Amino acid sequence: MTYAPSTTTYANWGQRVGAFLIDVLPNIVLGIIGYVIGNTAISLLFDLVIIAWWVYNRGYLAGTTGQSWGKKVLNLRLIGEATGQPIGFGMALLRDICHIVDNVICYVGWLFPLWDAKRQTLADKILKTVVVPA
Amino acid sequence: MVVARAYSVPERITLFGVGCAAIATVYPTVSAHTGLELPCPLRTLTGIPCPFCGLTTATVALVSGDAAGAVAASPLAILVAALVIGTLPILVGRLVGLGRAPVPWSARTRRRVGWVAGVLVAGSWVFQLHRFHWL
Repeated sequence: MTYAPSTTTYANWGQRVGAFLIDVLPNIVLGIIGYVIGNTAISLLFDLVIIAWWVYNRGYLAGTTGQSWGKKVLNLRLIGEATGQPIGFGMALLRDICHIVDNVICYVGWLFPLWDAKRQTLADKILKTVVVPA
Repeated sequence: MVVARAYSVPERITLFGVGCAAIATVYPTVSAHTGLELPCPLRTLTGIPCPFCGLTTATVALVSGDAAGAVAASPLAILVAALVIGTLPILVGRLVGLGRAPVPWSARTRRRVGWVAGVLVAGSWVFQLHRFHWL
């Protein structure tokens, strides 16, 4: 079988999807449990836990270390395109908010890493971030 | 030395397209039983369709053999399907060791392809605006 030397300096789409799925897995599990229990107070508590986890994992961890849990498992790092350093807590949260733009056009923004030269989503382009192998 | 398979952009889109086709075979059943759908956020919020509206409908139509239904929903899906069908033999051939690994496109080629894709997406948007009676 013929292999080409890796020239990729950016995480591919499959790796990024895998990392994202790991990040959202706890939220999905908690959401389902909350829905099954059907108790409003418990559901509200679970919603708060989900938000807190999201802020910690996708905001704090990804922003300060470059690695949310999912990215750590897949050995990826979120960094600023210009600096090569983690982008910080606020910017990481802002990046997730900017994913709204990826959703608006029938979620096609999430597919941009399939063809984009820097494997960026639209949110990455807005905030000038890239995801790279750690 | 670390080596990795390098897929070309058409190959990556083809792999994704094959995945979408597989999902489209079960999507109507899953949707009917759970009520889960993939509405376009732009159209849901504003009533204005985006260039990619109709792709789910067209993909489901294509995998069930309804080409006319697919064209009516999104001609863009037909173009993507043509790309998938055209690229699949190349991809499979490469996976079994026939042919060389893809050569990265030059910046010029990437720019040209980008322009073509942009024109196609713009055309798709006009089509969707017409389909939903905005034009």
